[in-house]
Amino acid sequence: MTFNLEEIYQIASTIWETAIGLQIEPESQDALASIGNRPRSTAACIQITGAWNGAILLDCPVEVARLVASIMFSAEPAKVTVADLQDAVAELVNMIGGNFKALLPEKCFLSLPAVVEGGDYSTRIPGSKLLGRACLCCQGHPVSITVLEKAVNQAAAA
Amino acid sequence: MSTATAPRPTIDSKFVLPFMNATRDVFLKMAGVTTTIGKPHLKSDTNAGYAVCGIIGFSGQITGSVVVSFSDTAAEKLVEAFAGVKLALTDPDFADAVGELANMIAGSAKKHLGAVASISTPSVVIGKGYVVANNRQIPCLVIPCSSPFGDFAVEVSVKRSPAL
Repeated sequence: MTFNLEEIYQIASTIWETAIGLQIEPESQDALASIGNRPRSTAACIQITGAWNGAILLDCPVEVARLVASIMFSAEPAKVTVADLQDAVAELVNMIGGNFKALLPEKCFLSLPAVVEGGDYSTRIPGSKLLGRACLCCQGHPVSITVLEKAVNQAAAA
Repeated sequence: MSTATAPRPTIDSKFVLPFMNATRDVFLKMAGVTTTIGKPHLKSDTNAGYAVCGIIGFSGQITGSVVVSFSDTAAEKLVEAFAGVKLALTDPDFADAVGELANMIAGSAKKHLGAVASISTPSVVIGKGYVVANNRQIPCLVIPCSSPFGDFAVEVSVKRSPAL
């Protein structure tokens, strides 16, 4: 499968504007380097199975997660709980996955989002290959959306 | 927002035994490690757990996720027993091995869940001070496990999908 990062940007932009009323803009790929250096971040992954197999990973700093949660749940940012911001980022990646699924051949299923929140951690999707990574900017903070496709085991496929 | 009056979640007991058996079988057959399965309990907190997690999503007639989590030392030794070679936490093959263990446990259990479901590619998280969040609509049952190499846990958070 091929797709371009512009499609991911359009999906993200639409969701950000319609669901939470925020702007999200493309960011240079150089900003990706700073994502791994943040003290706390929230990552949400949604898996797609069926006619196409892969995953979408949303990674954002806790500041963005808190802002999104405060808007989504109509709460003051200071009163947003960890569970709220996890739910908010899960909902975002669920919407991104749902929109991305529309680009895929029938019939595909979305898993429930898996959300990880914390400091010093790394996330990997073994057995998948990187299709693309969009680097975006929300309220001055870098946000990345990564699309991974399950790698076909050539030996098994033969 | 969070509500203090949320009903206490429950989990279908039919979903528990397949994961207990699958965990025992996978480690015994694939790593030659005998594991002891403890008494399952509902996960009640969001404190940071073990350092290495393999996460598998379920979709179809069963939705939810399963998280297999290990301490870093237990993970290193169990992966060594499974892969036959010592791998560092930072080695990409280490994450592959953790993902494969989670995949085999979920795949083996899936056959006995009595439903048509797909399991996702595993996600592997390695680090410190992080929390894997559970869906608040689905209860999470923790199956504590012990092995000669250290303790680990299988967190089962699945439900039958009403849409299918």
